[in-house]
Amino acid sequence: MGEQRIGTREEWQAAHQKLLEGEKELAERSRELAEQRRKLPWVPLEKEYTFATDDGPKTLAEFFDGRSQLIAYHIMFGPDYSLGACPGCSNLADHFDAGVVHLNHRDVTFIAISRAPLEMIQAYKQRMGWRFPWVSSYASDYQFDFGFAFTPEQMQADVFQQMINEPPDWLRDWSVAIGADLEKGLAEGPGWAVFALADGAVHHTYSRHAPDGALLAPYYYQLLDQTPNGRGEEFRATRHDEYENAAIAHPG
Amino acid sequence: MGVMAEHRIGTQEQWQAERDALLREEKELTRRGDELARKRRELPWVPVEKEYRFETEDGTKTLADLFDGRSQLLVYHFMFGPPYEAGCPVCSSIADTLDPQVVHLKARDATLLLASRAPLERLLAFKERMGWAIDWVSSAGSDFNRDLGFQRTEEELKPFLEGTIPPTVEQNARMCGTDALGYVSEGPGLSVYALSDGTVYRTYVTTARGLEPAMAYYGLLDRTAKGRDESASEPSWIRRHDEY
Repeated sequence: MGEQRIGTREEWQAAHQKLLEGEKELAERSRELAEQRRKLPWVPLEKEYTFATDDGPKTLAEFFDGRSQLIAYHIMFGPDYSLGACPGCSNLADHFDAGVVHLNHRDVTFIAISRAPLEMIQAYKQRMGWRFPWVSSYASDYQFDFGFAFTPEQMQADVFQQMINEPPDWLRDWSVAIGADLEKGLAEGPGWAVFALADGAVHHTYSRHAPDGALLAPYYYQLLDQTPNGRGEEFRATRHDEYENAAIAHPG
Repeated sequence: MGVMAEHRIGTQEQWQAERDALLREEKELTRRGDELARKRRELPWVPVEKEYRFETEDGTKTLADLFDGRSQLLVYHFMFGPPYEAGCPVCSSIADTLDPQVVHLKARDATLLLASRAPLERLLAFKERMGWAIDWVSSAGSDFNRDLGFQRTEEELKPFLEGTIPPTVEQNARMCGTDALGYVSEGPGLSVYALSDGTVYRTYVTTARGLEPAMAYYGLLDRTAKGRDESASEPSWIRRHDEY
């Protein structure tokens, strides 16, 4: 527990009032940015991508499933990850099922995409107890074209080579957790992509990639941000069935 | 479903240039959010002097008991008052996204639970219907909600009830099997506590738009072409997950 000041209710109220102004300003700024996001130009997709899904091969246009907007999260799970998807992405994905039904009724189709072959995805999804649609881009250039996977040539860049050759402890642990070396592990990139379907054409409207925080952090970080201890430094993401006390570990 | 927003079609290069400019602002917003989280932790802690009692699945408990062996407690004040037949639909959508967080928060020394003023049996029956695992306690018979400002009297609500009641409120009240007064007597909120040397301290309280971080799907809608697509003058689109 961090250093704490004890105060009266009045002192708390005064300090809280000041904080509240900051929080309102942040909410307002966030609303402004959401508006700017919607004003980005739409880029028509020129290439057709095919994905392996539970219902056979599908194109991006087919994912919309009668809705006009598609949001995809790219879970770091490459063909060489022998022990399962990235634990951080898995923490984030624990929340997807709850949101899907609400998004679907808001004209938004939600899917997850990874490069691991479909059978690997299906097995891991079953282990985690998830229901959201999760497709494989294994045989497609899709993730490379949109910056959610990197070719061996791209992996030669200094930023990757430095992480691979001098990994910090957390990254070393991460490599053990996924069961792949960093050369293969970091070849996958997490992030969001958003598409819109209009007049029969798929348009790319928005993307957000690592390493920029906000949307890639699990939602429970938002709640941790309201607690006295906060997120805590040096905390490693753990898959929900791998916590020490497994009895409390399943989100149900 | 609303009509698709007006949009410009552009080239990949145009999109990238505008997206990069926006990203700078998004990053600035993230940093500002981190800064506020730090300020939140710097608020003074206020000892909770009153002893509140809660009805739980394991009998009557105090606020200190609710920590369940951890040193931090987050309470989501779910709108489900004594006259309600079912929980508020918006709070239900929030609880959908809180439920899977419990396990991860426990691992971070934080207990998260729901508290409402309806009798425990009614809360538990609704919890079963929704398929949630999160703990839910009843603060019926305690001033807990009232002291935090999440319970309002008819007297206080008079000006609101005499004005034009927003369609969202009428709709949600109907969905909860109560009237506007019954519905808005309850307020949603999040209150946060720390347990240190046997004393419970209140560290943070928020309500209204301060609860949006708990509405995980809003963050995603904010990235779509249509956005949240809602207005105060129209009925809400939010339903309980088994009622769409």
